[in-house]
Amino acid sequence: MNRWLALLLLPGIAWSQEDDPFADDDWGDWEETEQEIVVTGFVEGGAGTRFSRDALVAGRNTLEDLRIRFETDWQAERFSVAAKADMGYDGVEDDVYLDFRDLSLSASLGKTDLRLGRQVQTWGTGDLLFLNDLFPKDFVSFFAGRDDEYLKAPGDSLRVSHFNPLVNVDFVWTPDFEPDVYLTGERFAFFSPLAGGNVAPRPPFSAVEPDGGFSNGEFALRLFKTVKGNEYAVYLYRGYFKQPTALTAALEPTFAPMSAIGASLRRPLGPGLFNAEFSYYDSRDDDDGSNPLLPNDQLRFLLGYEWEAKPSFTVGFQYYLEWTQDHDALLENSPAPEFEPDEHRHLITNRLSYRLERDKYTLSLFTFWSPSDRDFYLRPAFTYRHSDQWSLVAGANLFGGDDDHTFFSQLQDASNVYLRLRFSY
Amino acid sequence: MRPAGRFCRLERSARGRMKRKEIEMRILFTLAGLLAVNAAGAEPLSDADEIVERANLAAYYGGADGRSEVRMIITDGQGRQQRRQFTVLRRDVAEAADQQFLVVFSQPSDVRGTVFLVHKHVDRDDDRWLYLPGLDLVKRISAGDKRTSFVGAHYFYEDVSGRRPSDDTHELQETTDDFYVLGHTPKDPGSVEFAYYQTWIDRETFLPMKIEYTNAAGDVYRRVEVSKVDVFDGHPTVTVSRVSDLLTGGRTDMQFRYIKYDVGLPEDVFTERALRNPPREWLQRPTD
Repeated sequence: MNRWLALLLLPGIAWSQEDDPFADDDWGDWEETEQEIVVTGFVEGGAGTRFSRDALVAGRNTLEDLRIRFETDWQAERFSVAAKADMGYDGVEDDVYLDFRDLSLSASLGKTDLRLGRQVQTWGTGDLLFLNDLFPKDFVSFFAGRDDEYLKAPGDSLRVSHFNPLVNVDFVWTPDFEPDVYLTGERFAFFSPLAGGNVAPRPPFSAVEPDGGFSNGEFALRLFKTVKGNEYAVYLYRGYFKQPTALTAALEPTFAPMSAIGASLRRPLGPGLFNAEFSYYDSRDDDDGSNPLLPNDQLRFLLGYEWEAKPSFTVGFQYYLEWTQDHDALLENSPAPEFEPDEHRHLITNRLSYRLERDKYTLSLFTFWSPSDRDFYLRPAFTYRHSDQWSLVAGANLFGGDDDHTFFSQLQDASNVYLRLRFSY
Repeated sequence: MRPAGRFCRLERSARGRMKRKEIEMRILFTLAGLLAVNAAGAEPLSDADEIVERANLAAYYGGADGRSEVRMIITDGQGRQQRRQFTVLRRDVAEAADQQFLVVFSQPSDVRGTVFLVHKHVDRDDDRWLYLPGLDLVKRISAGDKRTSFVGAHYFYEDVSGRRPSDDTHELQETTDDFYVLGHTPKDPGSVEFAYYQTWIDRETFLPMKIEYTNAAGDVYRRVEVSKVDVFDGHPTVTVSRVSDLLTGGRTDMQFRYIKYDVGLPEDVFTERALRNPPREWLQRPTD
């Protein structure tokens, strides 16, 4: 060891033993991490309120959260079990809850991975825009200022992933349709074409979900491969529109049957990353677009570019198009053509993210702006990571627009500011 | 074949210093299991590019693959500490060329389950992905984003997988008894925050033992130091190092353990599959 001791003693190179942060380390867990059940998580409080009262909604606050998160996993020889649960109280909905975001069994068989149970799933290339990702989203949490994680809602699925040099395959079967968490009027009012204005019904709005049964489940397939840094993917989906945009014969809101096919590419380009994605949504029961109770087919298209403009300063732009097919037939047959979507809904997004002092502070602004709908949604946020335990987020959700019925514009009276404080353990 | 080549180089460079350090060298070779085959005595190297290439090999290419557990203590200018713990798997696609890295975080709890994957290329920008388990999101990291903090540490993303020797021009400034002292100037100054940096490369192991970065104002503002080197499977390996931010007084200390080389990592450990489902078989601690 002399040789290395000599190195240690070289002037200007070694630091003394007292200065060694590892010397008196109570973090003595090199030994503990294996074959033990570790429970981690956090306790978080969040509060958010509107800029001004919304006459349709009783309370002014948009966020009154107190939650505790438990996460653990257990690994056996051939399989593992993961659990991730939130327990808490939601003051806005006056609800005590226990929500599992993950409760799943995983196994690997050669080149195939299986995962069965409750799980959060994500694919596709968009930044806060989803084309071929038809897994459930929780827009209520997103608009209320909960952690970004909660935008993705869990679903009960079987996921089979097969990896091989020709092409990788992901197949997800969700036996019971999992819709998005949509606006119900409980926390945020929303635009109703039937009423011709915003509503916040009591009891909260609830859409009719498809009956159970094998053919009413959701089937999602992704074929993907990375070649020389280019990520290619093809997607297929059979299920339903994730938002209740259809009406039953009895004029109750429901989810229209939908199949989708799409593809995406993500690759480096210049100093940044380029992505392109499209998806064709086939409204299966409305072939010619003439049924006023059902949404029409749509082609969705996305182009994006993100790069680090300066050290720790990331800039991203996306152009997104929703092109409603058979638009003439839609208008001809609509009882309220003035509230129907434009044939082309254009959306431009911008992400600005500036991290300071080794990510201790993060300033970010995400902007959605639709020149065709003439509405916008701004998401400024400030994140402060005080320590490995404490972190704080302050932010706002700002909606605006010219018309009452467009997607972001309907939320004008929901514009809010929020603050969240988290202790991780 | 590859390790043998390395040992020969190690030994040849050692020959010139045999008298002065005969005893230490004997111990070293015993430790490393390298009882010597005599080669012709070698003069110190004089070609800066060759020294840098060997340093790159010594620091990043030990064996055909390797694994290590790492923990970091991040201390800010006010003395407040944060910690990170992770396991690194590394596989060489080819010696001195493309490599793959998988970094799996276990602590603290808010980064637990985060996985960082690098496909390092010598002829184009590296491909890098970060898996965020909360969103089940595979996030790609842009090429420009490499000299920014790696998970809150004073280390940069680029320090994890190494900076390409061809990104800088190198100059041998001094050869001391123990070190080659080199100066390095970036070919594309706009892409980095430093104007210049200097390295002290151990003449025997070729490990860079100290690196000092100088900014445009001429001040040394960042220093990386190695304080402990041990030999694993015949490869001298850094086991304790520190990077200091001399402007704020902050620093990150890094400690490596459970190091093993040539474990036989297959290529499919370094794919999207591993991001969502880290390869437990290869992340487990070696038992011997």
